[in-house]
Amino acid sequence: MKKIIRLTVNGEPLEAAVAQNQTLVQFLREDLGLTGTKHGCGLGDCGACTVILDGKAVNSCLVLAIQANGSEVLTIEGLAENGKLHPLQQAFVDKGAIQCGFCTPGMILSAKALLEEKPNPTELEIRTALSGNLCRCTGYQKIVEAIDEAAKVMTGREES
Amino acid sequence: MLLPKFEYIEPTTLEEALRLLSDMGGNARVIAGGTDLLVRMKLKIEKPSHLISLRKVPGLNQVIKRETHGVSIGPAVTAADLARNEFIRDKFAPVATAAGKLGAPVIRNRATIGGNLVNARPAADFPPACMVFDAILKLKSTTNEREILVGQFFRGPGETIIEPNELLVGIFMETPAPWTGGSYIKLGARKALEISMVNVAVMLTLQEPLGPIVDVKIALGAVAPTPVRAFAAEQYLMGRHPSEKVFSEAGAIGVGMCNPITDHRGTMEYRCLMIETLTSRALNQAYQNALDWKP
Repeated sequence: MKKIIRLTVNGEPLEAAVAQNQTLVQFLREDLGLTGTKHGCGLGDCGACTVILDGKAVNSCLVLAIQANGSEVLTIEGLAENGKLHPLQQAFVDKGAIQCGFCTPGMILSAKALLEEKPNPTELEIRTALSGNLCRCTGYQKIVEAIDEAAKVMTGREES
Repeated sequence: MLLPKFEYIEPTTLEEALRLLSDMGGNARVIAGGTDLLVRMKLKIEKPSHLISLRKVPGLNQVIKRETHGVSIGPAVTAADLARNEFIRDKFAPVATAAGKLGAPVIRNRATIGGNLVNARPAADFPPACMVFDAILKLKSTTNEREILVGQFFRGPGETIIEPNELLVGIFMETPAPWTGGSYIKLGARKALEISMVNVAVMLTLQEPLGPIVDVKIALGAVAPTPVRAFAAEQYLMGRHPSEKVFSEAGAIGVGMCNPITDHRGTMEYRCLMIETLTSRALNQAYQNALDWKP
């Protein structure tokens, strides 16, 4: 039997009926049409489904939609403001950190969670924060550089 | 990957959770972080009819410094929270280190210490770390409450002495004596999103900085059907003054306690070599840590 959940997604409060065995990634993609969050392995091994749930980066394939009742969810779609890319998104574009783009939403959200906690991370801290997000294309180097760049912009050390 | 159908219940008190566990018998599973359980359900290894969530049960997700001595950790405390908890990092370093090496950051934000202990995988990260502190596990059911030494909790891969109607409600550890240091080493083919090939936790207490070893506990994971203590190596070390040679010897003795298998992560031969190396390395790290002890 479906259950009603109330949650906030990208700043918008909403109410929905979900199947009890529906995962958060399924709910976001199939019910809300927010397909920026990707379904990769479904087992918590790749990070393609990363979203920020109540301030923490999590694998949305391992969260039941019903467990997100009363919570705040941030997906990749929630980063840009008024059509302007978030500094992380802009840095990924500028640094060539995007090839096929499949890992990108998860990477950016893991990076966002990191920068909230550590606005000036070292390279090791960046790589550790991304250690749950796999990329098959880039070899990670540009991704790390992009996050480093975004950190500088976000802390006002550089013009974007 | 689809989950099978089940009914999801969110009890709001511990009593309600225990009553549900009692009523459902073996068909219900407790869900905390869900990072192991939901994977097993997606792989059709488990098909519980009911999931009893701990999300709304109060009192299970805190780390509490006890008035007299020691710490009480709720089963629903996440690995991420344990890894960054100042008190745990200071006095129970192996637990904080193990917490920080579990899975990956995104997993650690959901995975819980209780889940890791009760799932009892031989290569799990928390069991050896808890064993070197002789942690006491508190199990509760509607009719009973009991306390078990963590070293006696594990029975085999995925098996513990917990009854289907019992819930792990607390993990208690006494604050170690002065001049105690600890360490945890996890060996895998990669540094994250990894299940151990061999892991080892050590707690070591010196009489005083230049003094002999007066207490030592060594626990190894992934080298036997359950995590094991290297009692013979511990006995060898008691009363001896720390040195590379002594730690090396302890490592060699430690291999004797272990019964590793050959699987896709590593051969038995390699694991035995690693037990020896990592035990002596962990002893060294724990010793260095002990020298830095502060009240």
